[in-house]
Amino acid sequence: MPVLEPVDAWRVVASPAAIESARWSGDDVDVLRIAPDEALGLGATGVELSGEPDAIVEPEAGYSVAILDQLEELTVREHIEWDLDAAEGLAQGKVAGVPAKLRIGDPTLLIVQTAYADELRGRLGW
Amino acid sequence: MTDGRVVVDGTPIEYREGDSVAVAILRAGEVPGHGGCLCLAGDCGNCLAEVDGVAYVRTCQVAARPGSVVRRHPAEGKPQLPVVDLGDPSKVAPRREERVNHLWVDAIVVGAGASGIAAADALRAAGREPSILDAGDGEQVMGIYPGPGVVMRNEREIPEMVHYHAAEVLVATGTAELQPVCEGSRLAGILTPRAADRLEAAGVDLGRVARVGRELLRFEGDDRGRITGVVTTEDRIQCDTAVVDLGRAPRDVLARMSKDGSVTAAGSVAEEHPLPAAPSDLGAVVCPCMGTTVADLQTAFDKGYQDLELLKRASWAGLGPCQGGACVPHVRAFIAARTGVVPNPFTARPAARQITLAEAAADTTIDAFRRTPLHDEHLALGARMDRFGGWFRPWHYGDVVGEYWAVREGVSIGDVSTLGKLIVSGPDVVEALERIYPCHVADIKPGRSRYALLLNERGHVMDDGMILRDAETRFTLSFTSGGAANAEMWIRDWVDTWGLRVHVMDRTMSLAAINVTGPFAGELLRRLGLAEPPRFLSHVRAELQGAPCHVMRLSFTGEAAFELHHPVDQSVGLWRALLDHGEDLGIRPHGLQALFGLRLEKGHVIVGMDTELDTTPRRLGMDWAARMDKPFFIGRAALERTAKLEDQRRWMGFSMDGAAPAEGAPIRSIESGDVIGNVTGSWTSPLLGKALMLGWQRRTPFADRVEIDGREAVVTPTPFYDPEGRRARA
Repeated sequence: MPVLEPVDAWRVVASPAAIESARWSGDDVDVLRIAPDEALGLGATGVELSGEPDAIVEPEAGYSVAILDQLEELTVREHIEWDLDAAEGLAQGKVAGVPAKLRIGDPTLLIVQTAYADELRGRLGW
Repeated sequence: MTDGRVVVDGTPIEYREGDSVAVAILRAGEVPGHGGCLCLAGDCGNCLAEVDGVAYVRTCQVAARPGSVVRRHPAEGKPQLPVVDLGDPSKVAPRREERVNHLWVDAIVVGAGASGIAAADALRAAGREPSILDAGDGEQVMGIYPGPGVVMRNEREIPEMVHYHAAEVLVATGTAELQPVCEGSRLAGILTPRAADRLEAAGVDLGRVARVGRELLRFEGDDRGRITGVVTTEDRIQCDTAVVDLGRAPRDVLARMSKDGSVTAAGSVAEEHPLPAAPSDLGAVVCPCMGTTVADLQTAFDKGYQDLELLKRASWAGLGPCQGGACVPHVRAFIAARTGVVPNPFTARPAARQITLAEAAADTTIDAFRRTPLHDEHLALGARMDRFGGWFRPWHYGDVVGEYWAVREGVSIGDVSTLGKLIVSGPDVVEALERIYPCHVADIKPGRSRYALLLNERGHVMDDGMILRDAETRFTLSFTSGGAANAEMWIRDWVDTWGLRVHVMDRTMSLAAINVTGPFAGELLRRLGLAEPPRFLSHVRAELQGAPCHVMRLSFTGEAAFELHHPVDQSVGLWRALLDHGEDLGIRPHGLQALFGLRLEKGHVIVGMDTELDTTPRRLGMDWAARMDKPFFIGRAALERTAKLEDQRRWMGFSMDGAAPAEGAPIRSIESGDVIGNVTGSWTSPLLGKALMLGWQRRTPFADRVEIDGREAVVTPTPFYDPEGRRARA
């Protein structure tokens, strides 16, 4: 059964150029570009941006993540209403009616705001 | 030869292999409905009946199966709903769980007739991979939605709902045969030519058959409601069955359902067909589903409902299960004959076939409700949780009055993690907020805050909250729990529209918040390490028990109050520390019920609970919150315009002896007894010893005394409690 648990992260809202040149700290940082002007660095312990004093840079404790194996990913896909044909990348929408993100790749990650985590666990039968 | 039996209104009847339920009933010499011309093609509503507990089934589209139970709908009125014994849920017959299969396909062709096959061939020739759906194969298309999406009930093997997600949908459903609209057209024994062919092929004895076309004048029948003859412009024919060929019309219910550009009609459904002659017999039924007569059409038309959409609504023609499949050509002809213009058919709505609640609800999910990081703490403290504003929140902890007194006389904590929280930053942020909010923003100094309403372009209150200035070009904004998502979209949308350089980060679910309130709130924060709690409407950053907090001094309860906004992963520790350090101060948590009472004593509005969609600051008695000396803010022009008009609505305070009435209770005029408003919030004040209410008066001149819950209540200025606000500032 996948384990959905809170993860340390940092979040940045800034211009696309500033985000692309951001320097993330941490051993195993997974940067998700969740909007053109926003990035979420899972596992990050900090982030430095240059040239944009009004960028919003905040530590983020509000997300939970589960690492999915192939079978678990297939199970999650059954709870997604939209077509998920991408081989890899970030998909954002609803899983079993709960707002969530799916980072398809190696490994595939299911990401949900912790406030929704219990609801999602219940709906997926975890 | 008999292949099985179905039970119709308690009587078993025999059917043969390949019979639909309708054909089996006709074979037995009965009629599936209560008269009217049968098409046996699923176009009309004349064979609707209840089959195996499901009403409004087109019996011509359902194969007869051993043991099927058919109940004909009543001749007048609607079929009875299943009776459920609410006192004993176990008596409700278990229903199978509906399955939904999601399929992603390239293209869908609805209809496997000549035009459907041609459309599919053309797609294949273009390298596409069409899927063909046809009702004749048990594939009942219920609706076509933007996307496009096609919802279908598959009745072939194991019944299931199928939701198709397609790049393109072609509707090739062909044509339907026109129904007669004349005297006697509701008699039993009338068929379209295709229906007659189908019955003859099935070996059903039709008796003496009269075939007529547009020369038809009327039908004649006996007192059992069966046809006995047909009168035409030339003749009078005795018969047992009349076969009426009046031409065809597009079978376009599904084609009329979606305006999506990727849904197109193909073949004869897309072609224009001659309209029938305008119906002229005033007593004739034009819409068999709703029983609308030509006289009903004429009455509505004479009242000015001369557009097809309006005539539909006024006469009910086309509102029934067949979605105008039978009557639309006749109603169009009716209008064309009177206006000289042929109107386009109206939009059809899903579902095109009967659908059970279980089928409609299958695979849908209810709204997901969020939990704050303190959810389990509330449960451990015995809270009764409730859903509010998209979150689970503690309604009370078992002693509402005790929770109230803790706030008024000691100290209490409340979980306000659900409040909306945005950070906005950028060189244009002051300009953006000045335009968005009706209050002044530029003069808020860093470290200070201001209460603000959020208005839409019409000057109506959308939400409220605090504007807290963190630095010259950075602010924190707070919103109500239920309005936060909308407020965020609203701000992002305007910033984009204006092209202003402002960044927005939603922190609603990243930060938890605890409200520490009561006369000893400041003392409690000192014990946690905050040597100098901020003064009223100020805010500071501080570490409390290791948790980085944004401490905001404000007040919703009427007492000194500090909101501690902090990372969600530190919330449980901070909550427990507050309870530990406040034990000798009599600390206890308060739930929403006490909070609503506390705020009511202060006369504070709760947007969404007290307000209506068109509530203005003036109607709330909060004109002060909209600074008309500003040159621009969203809603300003509307407020300026409406300020000159008399307003007949006002939200105000009331009080009376005794217990508080139910929220929502009507407010009546003492003189006339008329309802002149309603209560939006009520509370029996433990401190003031009487019932306090907030509510609306909707009639001028506003009364000073009203009747609520059968008692006299007096209009009372708010705040009811501490009107100078000394305690909140203390």
